[in-house]
Amino acid sequence: MHEDRQKRVNGNWPMLAGFLVLLWRNAPGAELTVLPEYLRPDPFGGVVAVDNLPGRQVEPISFDEKHPLELKGARGAYVSFHLVVEIPDGADYRLAFTLDDKSGKLEADLFREWFHFTESDRNYYPDALVPVSLPYASRMPDPENHIAKQTAQPFWVDIWIPQDAQPGICRGQASLETGKEHRTLPFALNVLPAVVPAEDVVTVDHNSYGSSWLADYYPGTKVPSAASFRLMHLYHGIFYDHRGAYHQLGYGHGGKVIPEFAPALTGSGRSRRIANWDLYDRQYGPLLDGSAFKDSRRGPRPIPFAYLPINPEWPASFLWWGEPGYEAEFVSVVSEMERHFREKGWTGTRFEMFFNHKKRYKAFPWDGDETRFPKDDKYFIEYGRLLKKALPPDSPVKFDFRIDASWDMERQFKSLAGIINFWVCGGSMFSWYDDAPRMLKERGDIVWIYGGPPPVTMVSSAITEHPLRVWLYGIDGWVHWQTVDPGNDPWFHFSGGGTVLAYPGARFGIHGPIPSLRLKIQRNCLQDLALLDSLKSRRKAGDLKTEVARRYNGTTPAQWWTPRPALADTPPYDWTNNSIDEATKAAEHPRPNLDARAWEGVHRFVLELAMEEK
Amino acid sequence: MKYRISAPAAAILLSVCLAAFAQEAGAPPGTKESVARDLDEVARVATVMVDGDVCQQIMTRRALGFMFAANPKDPWAASDNFDVNDEPYIQTKKTLIRLSRLLPYPCDVNLWMPFADRPGKIQVLIRNVNEWSQFWTWGILVQDIPPEMKRVLETGRRETVTRKPGLISVLAPVHNSLGESVALVEVVGLEPGGTPPDVHARLGNESYGPAGLR
Repeated sequence: MHEDRQKRVNGNWPMLAGFLVLLWRNAPGAELTVLPEYLRPDPFGGVVAVDNLPGRQVEPISFDEKHPLELKGARGAYVSFHLVVEIPDGADYRLAFTLDDKSGKLEADLFREWFHFTESDRNYYPDALVPVSLPYASRMPDPENHIAKQTAQPFWVDIWIPQDAQPGICRGQASLETGKEHRTLPFALNVLPAVVPAEDVVTVDHNSYGSSWLADYYPGTKVPSAASFRLMHLYHGIFYDHRGAYHQLGYGHGGKVIPEFAPALTGSGRSRRIANWDLYDRQYGPLLDGSAFKDSRRGPRPIPFAYLPINPEWPASFLWWGEPGYEAEFVSVVSEMERHFREKGWTGTRFEMFFNHKKRYKAFPWDGDETRFPKDDKYFIEYGRLLKKALPPDSPVKFDFRIDASWDMERQFKSLAGIINFWVCGGSMFSWYDDAPRMLKERGDIVWIYGGPPPVTMVSSAITEHPLRVWLYGIDGWVHWQTVDPGNDPWFHFSGGGTVLAYPGARFGIHGPIPSLRLKIQRNCLQDLALLDSLKSRRKAGDLKTEVARRYNGTTPAQWWTPRPALADTPPYDWTNNSIDEATKAAEHPRPNLDARAWEGVHRFVLELAMEEK
Repeated sequence: MKYRISAPAAAILLSVCLAAFAQEAGAPPGTKESVARDLDEVARVATVMVDGDVCQQIMTRRALGFMFAANPKDPWAASDNFDVNDEPYIQTKKTLIRLSRLLPYPCDVNLWMPFADRPGKIQVLIRNVNEWSQFWTWGILVQDIPPEMKRVLETGRRETVTRKPGLISVLAPVHNSLGESVALVEVVGLEPGGTPPDVHARLGNESYGPAGLR
């Protein structure tokens, strides 16, 4: 067994040089092993099939005192890996983890990885990460996860290296006790002088709708209440801690605003005004002044973006649309909002006027979201006029007019120039228009693209593809469409996670969200991108992009665009989903499938560059 | 933009103005029966006030052409091509909003329209701010005509419905100038003490996701 496994190890992992130094140790019983972050463990001592590298069977690796696990990372960032407890015959165990950091600045977080049974392919995938206190005691098989014949329990390890940490080697160890057996896994973390900037070069946004779901996920929680506000701040906090942004839309397709997402109004026509800010300020105040994040390792900071509650029915009643009363109500209330935000000093957030309704939902006669018919432009033009009229030209409060565009984006880039300044575009169709980033960025617009989070059944590196695409395109951000909906039974009958990146922690006695493994991988990708972008002084941006695309999946930056198909010359209202797919497939450059280590190649490149920095 | 308002509207408008400010109040007072009576009165007025000829002009001819077009390669064809003519839509929606403001507590007045060439099918064509309905399944474009609605269209008589806990609806016919029942309104409110239903998008169902995501 020993020799066989030694061969497997040596044969499978040389590409991990720089991350791992390999060694084999006799271990007939329990073992404590490691996998890099992009190889997700399975419950039986292997790696989930989709993450296995082409032609190779990978298994977790052990280390000892002479050959410790070697890690390296920049300051202002996390270093992560999977620590795997393997107990073939099942038993109680106790896990400890220590950092020998005399400065006390480095911190380690461990999370138990929950295995979700996924209905689509009837496999187990680790994704939800349950925070654990150390030392941690449990049993194999895990008493909660209920997996027959489970032999391996992985823990996600995050080591936080603050910006002011001393560069050099920090040692530590993980240790496992089970019965009379005792295993240790020593490691040496090389803290590099390089510092990851606090500011991200790519905004990854996490979208959601409303707040009523809080009562479903956290039984007994009244919405709105102090408890629901706290929960909402925790949701913002978990995405902020993972270098992301978080949006909650606060109104329905018919225009009804949720009380805590808009100030209460009174009056009609000329007398329309704000009556009460109480609920809004209690929910949003700590987010807009940053105090909600006072305990974050990233420090307190206002949320970067927030939807406004403005819609065709608020603050002006649609009853007055086209009449003087509509303008009177709109301008009066939005002016009051600007004044309130200014007086509160809420100038660090971009407030977005965004229309989410569609005709198909039968409440308004035009598409605010994903406009398909050119005749609907007139509504955007009118709202642009109203917003401009409501705001003082020299306001320090930032108001943006955002549109989420798909079918008709190319035409709207021109027809709504100077009206829309924040474009959130369907990623697939945006890839047809390689001239769009320069045109939009030169006029100062914000440009994001959107899609859904990759489900757990996709290769682990899939979550890094979208941030990288944004960086290669030279635009500003990516939106995961929906990120807090785990489905009906995420724990034992999982729908795949295409709408969730933060899970409700209530099942584990945690009154707040817990992160996903995909969110962690995404965060680590974002910190690499921030560091990479800060190194532009060393190499031309174009050269960096070329090298990163090559290391990621053997592509060139140009291959990330789809040559504009002939379909784009026909009216978008004549397109079908099928014709879009066919046009894209026919035109797009062939790209190799992602494998699990795609981002690892970029990560190593970034660290190489960072180590060249003096 | 100009909108037609018929003469009997004047009296109603006065009560609209009086009621408008009281609407913020919330759940209705009184009993289930008194709320049903209030809704019935609004429904009675709606039959007079809502112009069936205008309602028949709301959908574009193009959108109607896609409404029942079966395309297995493009299951969203009907909804992606759903479109309305602004002027009749807005005129009718404003009338529905005014009708809802006849009461001093929240209610919605929804417009439902059957299809001349598809007996047995109906769609909600205009909804309102609270998004209440006892008949609409969120996101559905077209549905089978419920028996209550069929009876109202056939008999011309209003009908009170309490099929969903906490909601009361009154259905009333809408006529065109030929005297035909071409649509109906659903005047819907909460029972006293009722909890507003959660009407937001059923998330996680990809059929409701953005087109740019497909």
